[in-house]
Amino acid sequence: MGAPQTLMEPTADTSGPRTLADTGFISVVVPVVERADDLVAVYRAFGRELDARPQEYEFLFVFDGRITPSPELVALTRENSSVRILRFAREFGETAALRLGIEKSRGDLVITLPAYFQVQPQGIHLLLDAVGRGADMVVANRSPRLDSWLNRMQSRAFHSMIGGAAEQRFHDMACGVRAMRRSVAEALPLYGDLHRFIPALALQEGFRVDEVAVPQHPGDARMRVYGPGVYLRRLLDIAAFFFLAKFTEKPLRFFGLVGSLFLVAGTVLSLVLFIQRVDGQGIANRPALLLAVLFLALGVQLMGLGLVGEIIVHLRAPHRRQYRVRERT
Amino acid sequence: MVIPDLVPRIPIVSPASVPTKGSVPTLSVVAPLYNESQNVRPLVEWILQALDTYPHPFEIILVDDGSRDGTWNEVRSAAADPRVHGLRLGANVGQTAAMMAGFDNARGQVIVSLDGDLQNDPRDIPALVAKLDEGYDLVCGWRQRRQDKLLLRKVPSWLANRLIRRLTGVPIRDNGCSLKAYRRELLQRIPLYAEQHRFIPALSASVGARITEMPVRHHARRFGESKYGISRTVKVLADLITLKMITTFRSRPLLGFSMAAMPALGIGLVFAALWLFSLTHFGPAKAGALVFPGAGLLALGVAFYLFMLGLVAEVALSSERGDASDTPNAWEVR
Repeated sequence: MGAPQTLMEPTADTSGPRTLADTGFISVVVPVVERADDLVAVYRAFGRELDARPQEYEFLFVFDGRITPSPELVALTRENSSVRILRFAREFGETAALRLGIEKSRGDLVITLPAYFQVQPQGIHLLLDAVGRGADMVVANRSPRLDSWLNRMQSRAFHSMIGGAAEQRFHDMACGVRAMRRSVAEALPLYGDLHRFIPALALQEGFRVDEVAVPQHPGDARMRVYGPGVYLRRLLDIAAFFFLAKFTEKPLRFFGLVGSLFLVAGTVLSLVLFIQRVDGQGIANRPALLLAVLFLALGVQLMGLGLVGEIIVHLRAPHRRQYRVRERT
Repeated sequence: MVIPDLVPRIPIVSPASVPTKGSVPTLSVVAPLYNESQNVRPLVEWILQALDTYPHPFEIILVDDGSRDGTWNEVRSAAADPRVHGLRLGANVGQTAAMMAGFDNARGQVIVSLDGDLQNDPRDIPALVAKLDEGYDLVCGWRQRRQDKLLLRKVPSWLANRLIRRLTGVPIRDNGCSLKAYRRELLQRIPLYAEQHRFIPALSASVGARITEMPVRHHARRFGESKYGISRTVKVLADLITLKMITTFRSRPLLGFSMAAMPALGIGLVFAALWLFSLTHFGPAKAGALVFPGAGLLALGVAFYLFMLGLVAEVALSSERGDASDTPNAWEVR
């Protein structure tokens, strides 16, 4: 796991944020997962912008199993040691690619970029300047959006569903262009498909996350149509995120609530049946008895699951801290 | 006492990383603060005044739990005194985690926690510490003449305390009082998370700590607002079930789950007996209704399922077994 178990940083930066954004080493992590433009072009376009800044930088392309690096890109790594390619032997997905990239990078600042032109390369300065102003993580908000109304509507639905769980409202979490301090990158709990929630995750870890409007690249604005399976997976992602955000420390509060609803329903139904039985009506032939027992059984099972969750949380407690020290005197 | 496995994992700030302000304190006073800007200065002054005659070096650790009202600026100016340290947390994480932040950074062998809202009286600190020295690991404050709203605070608190006392068997009458004195070793054994600060006495007892309580003063809130309301009752109930489960069956979850499976097993067997009875006495035509065997099988299924869950819990436990924090606390008899 890339994320350290302890969220404390004994060496809280005393150097001040401005110096970091001006002098720190920059690592650009590019997960190459599904869609990829000409990566040499991506490197040249963004590299040209970074050349204008005083910092040194490196590029890490992390290829998921399915995609093969082009010969031109491989040639580039030979002539330029600040460009590196990492490749998974099989498909692990974007979250794993990001995590590997962060682990293998050296930068004090980590920039994540998609493998295609999502924003105008000049926009990178807006992000870095915002880090210079003191943010721990800066995410791009593609604006103005050039996408079709369908994609914009989907995006809005996604963000309004997430909005309830997070303290701060984000507008473009699907945008892969982000800049963050190394401490943030390493503290992110990146697994599964959680890369879609990176700004919200950083916020939960106690970091300051800013959103800046960055002009969208015209090449990004194509109509995207997804199959029903994709929507189902998004909904599951959102459900997982909600659960993790609210109940990771207290699973029984969730399972106990749902479980006790079943228990109450089962108890009430059983009581009614009992009274009817005493009253002289036969209940042996009625499925209502089965339903009552089923409710009770479900309630007990949910409570039991919640308790196992609590045991796991309890066992992990010595290794975990929920807080992060931002500043000390 | 040194717990070899536990010590390195707890991020105690090493003396090298903190500029030494005076000699190493033996007493640390920890106060979590959430939107208490008006209370910081009086609190610090009051604590300093109360500890004026305290014979050993001490420190005050103010933990700003993600306040949004300028509490941190007040903490910073209070930290001009070399005995006062401030910690600013990245986000509002709640009282338990804020207290943990303070505990993890405390350097004293004795640690005292109190509320940041001036409702606890720092003048009680020396007495609590003296009590601790009589041979206790935890001394809990017991608020006399509580100055809070009756219906919203005192009645729920009274009920909760009775419930906690009954369920855990730890005879502490005021679990909700933040003013407590701890021995450092105890805090290293009970890593608090979620909202466990209410259950510190019960958790301490479960690791074998010597616990006592003593009456402390309580004052009405002067500035700011209370952060508690009645809404927490339901959550406290769920937390209590957890607490009971964890303190009783922490090292043998399979036993706990098997005990929970017994009623289901009993019900299942009763249904099975009813089915057999109707089968032998009324013949298969009547017994063919399937309701009795169905309900019986469901109940037996639950029993089986709970037993299996217990095994899962054992698996989770086995990966952590041998952890030093699981060894009960003991003290040498001399």
